[in-house]
Amino acid sequence: MRLLDLLRRDGVNQAARKKPHTEQSWVAPEWAWSWPANRRILYNRCSADPRGEPWSERKALIWWDADHGRWDGHDVPDRPPSHRPPKDATGPDALAGNDPFIMQADGKGWLYAPAGLVDGPLPTHYEPQDSPVPNPIYHRQQRSPVRQVFGRDHNLYHPSGDEPGSEVYPYVVTTYRLTEHFTAGGMSRWSPYLSELQPEFFCEVSPELAAERGLAHAGWATIVSARSVIEVRVLVTERMTPLTVGGRTVHQIGLPYHWGPNGHSRGDAANELASIALDPNVHIQEVKALTVDIRPGRRPRGPELLDLLHDYQRRAGITRQTGTEVRG
Amino acid sequence: MTDSLIGRNLLAGAEPDPAGDAGHADHPERVGFFTDTSVCIGCKACEVACKEWNAIPEDGLDLTGMSYDNSQGLGGSTWRHVAFVEQTRPVGAPDPSAPPDSDSETELRWLMASDVCKHCTHAACLDVCPTGALVRTEFGTVIVQEDICNGCGYCVPACPYGVIGQRPDDGRMFKCTLCYDRLGAGQEPACAKACPTDSIQFGPLDELRERAALRVDQLHDDGVPGARLYGQDPEDGVGGDGAFFLLLDEPEVYGLPPDPVVTTRDLPAMWRYAAAAAAGLLGGVAAAAAAAGRSR
Ligand code: SF4
Ligand code: SF4
Repeated sequence: MRLLDLLRRDGVNQAARKKPHTEQSWVAPEWAWSWPANRRILYNRCSADPRGEPWSERKALIWWDADHGRWDGHDVPDRPPSHRPPKDATGPDALAGNDPFIMQADGKGWLYAPAGLVDGPLPTHYEPQDSPVPNPIYHRQQRSPVRQVFGRDHNLYHPSGDEPGSEVYPYVVTTYRLTEHFTAGGMSRWSPYLSELQPEFFCEVSPELAAERGLAHAGWATIVSARSVIEVRVLVTERMTPLTVGGRTVHQIGLPYHWGPNGHSRGDAANELASIALDPNVHIQEVKALTVDIRPGRRPRGPELLDLLHDYQRRAGITRQTGTEVRG
Repeated sequence: MTDSLIGRNLLAGAEPDPAGDAGHADHPERVGFFTDTSVCIGCKACEVACKEWNAIPEDGLDLTGMSYDNSQGLGGSTWRHVAFVEQTRPVGAPDPSAPPDSDSETELRWLMASDVCKHCTHAACLDVCPTGALVRTEFGTVIVQEDICNGCGYCVPACPYGVIGQRPDDGRMFKCTLCYDRLGAGQEPACAKACPTDSIQFGPLDELRERAALRVDQLHDDGVPGARLYGQDPEDGVGGDGAFFLLLDEPEVYGLPPDPVVTTRDLPAMWRYAAAAAAGLLGGVAAAAAAAGRSR
């Protein structure tokens, strides 16, 4: 069926439906519409055991009605439990009624993945490329041994965990979006109506970090990594809480990443602080978790900016090899 | 027009029919906004929808440091304004207006509220406007006619809420029209249409007042004793707002005046005093003249 026909099923604009939760099941299938089958919970088959009995009455999504030989329940099911695919079926058609993970090639949950993942077969934990703490699981393997790294002058990595020099970049940065802008701001930064609502690049810090580094609310701060030096306005807010990680306090800095050098509202770019280190399976760069230092005031301009950058790199003892090890 | 206007104080007090008393015979029901701030998520869709529909210019690119509120307040070029208030209160405290106890754990509450022109029953802006640019519409709302306003600015200090404002590079005064053009076409205002949570509800004022009373009761039952209505009372200083609010804390917390009074309330009395004073002065002058004449 065409998307438009699905959306207009029964002559109702399904996407515009707003039936209150009090007038339908807790899955709320008649609140708007969900592509492609109005199924609300992917893999809802897992809510019932192989025979189709819900594991939990309270959390039941679908159940097998043996008398009528069909699924019943609050959500849209995939296929009957007894379904067996024809021998020559391929792709999704080759999944059986007891293969609930319909988006996976084998229809199974991937806790143990003997094929398909470079870093399988079991999930584990490594610290990010930049981290303020040692890996609590493998003391002798800080970072994923199969990550992809590129140790170059413009992509230097930080010492991590308890390596000497990691204290030069003691704080954690994460980047995120504001409601008012879209991704890196390439479009929304040019709209006056959106720019005026979030007009400047800012960081969010806790009162504790502001006190530790002398940052003034609504003032300026300079943020330094081994990659770049940027400046931001400061919002001191209790919405940011210091974390306790590995038995010590780790301060976090929040950076909405919507700014850049052009548009109606301009600013430095948060991603200039990040390095390129890729995950081994889908090669996504790790730009959501990094370490930095923060200091009050605006950043220097021109060659003095590079002096500051290089001074930090020197103090942390960073070379092109830093953070590129496979083992350790 | 039902009753005679003669001998009534039209500037304050009970006023069940503002559109009728403004001369609209056979007018539609009075409409307004009920802004239920308890469900506002601070998306600012209302601000943007308002600007888009009414073609309002950008109003400055200042980072204010007032949480996520960078539009600061209502004015000539901001007709919906979403306030963001970060509050600390004791964990699990049912009544957020209670002061946090110093050694108990606290959590943060982020209040968001979309402010707008109140479309007062007794609108001081309209009362003082010397050109007749500010008028009461058939819907009971208050609008400025852009082609008549001469920019004198009387309305600005008259508004008890600080709503109406001047557009500096233009000179004229502007404010929310409750989307007068959309109402005429049978549509709801742009902000109410855009609001994803129905924090902004548009409709006949009587119906909105009933709905709001139920909502407050529901919140009280749910353990939110701080929930209260603001501007819904036809007996208040402005005769009730056409756009009223459900707040979770004192009005001052959101930057709203606690007890607004139409600034023209005392005009009749002031004119009476002025007339008495003038009569007194004239009498004095006459007496002085007579005395001077005698002494010559
Ligand atoms: S809130 Fe102010 S601008 Fe709006 S109608 Fe009342 S007096 Fe006029
Ligand atoms: S559109 Fe609605 S939810 Fe969004 S900020 Fe405005 S009032 Fe709040």
